[in-house]
Amino acid sequence: MTLRSRTTARWIVRTLSEICLTAGALIVLFVVYLLFWTGVRADSAMDGEIGKLHDRWSSGAAAAPDRTPPPGESPTPAPPPRRYRPGDSFAVMYIPRFGADWAKPVLEGTATGTLQRGLGHYARTARLGDLGNFAVAGHRRTYGDPFKDFPELRPGDAVVLSDGTTWFTYRIDNRPYTTLPSDIGVIDPVPRKSGFNGPGRYLTLTTCEPEWGHSHRLIAWAHLDSTQPVAQGRPSALTG
Amino acid sequence: MYGWIWRHLPGNTWVKALISMVLVLAVVFVLFQYVFPWAEPLLPFNDVTVDEGMAAL
Repeated sequence: MTLRSRTTARWIVRTLSEICLTAGALIVLFVVYLLFWTGVRADSAMDGEIGKLHDRWSSGAAAAPDRTPPPGESPTPAPPPRRYRPGDSFAVMYIPRFGADWAKPVLEGTATGTLQRGLGHYARTARLGDLGNFAVAGHRRTYGDPFKDFPELRPGDAVVLSDGTTWFTYRIDNRPYTTLPSDIGVIDPVPRKSGFNGPGRYLTLTTCEPEWGHSHRLIAWAHLDSTQPVAQGRPSALTG
Repeated sequence: MYGWIWRHLPGNTWVKALISMVLVLAVVFVLFQYVFPWAEPLLPFNDVTVDEGMAAL
């Protein structure tokens, strides 16, 4: 072998190994980003949203007799607006099954950027506590893993929400149900296959299935069990 | 590639090492701030909704 061809061979081997090293480092960095950095960002964003809600409620709750106006609008006793503002938080969700300190903000809409800052309310579904189906989507993995323990939900589990004036306690009715992403009947006002057979005040939670995949969706349904004004303190589902 | 960069950095070994560190940090910053947020929605972890019609979730 000549000196020249040996140099060429070494150059090829060296370049190839540098490319492999670079690709490996990129993959490791991306995994760090997904597993760690999105969580750090989402946790601080969600804490920020909950803080904003509590600030707004403590400053404006007294002026709003029975319904919190959506973010950004002054709390007036005028008829409550029927829509939440896209991308804004309007409620906090508590699920004791996921941990005593599990509390996440619920934002309007299911856009990618919205779901990175909290749970997303399907815009075309009912408002919190209203007749119909209040449907909420959340990440199971990445962005703070809010619905990581979704499969642990069992019938009777409480899903408690507060909009600043009222506590809404929903009770889960089914074990998590696996379906296809195109099955939009699950967020109908009377969700299909849920076992509910008449109009009511329902809640639907959706997340991805399998954990890291996107071939299916995991669904949980609940019905409104009780409500109580915030002034009466936290509901028994949270204190018990 | 890396050898080529190293040879073209100015200064002695210490200065070169310092500049390399800055370059590495700059690359990581650009990746985390711009490249990964762009690439991440192309992966399946965002698909948590049932209505596919609403944007590419």
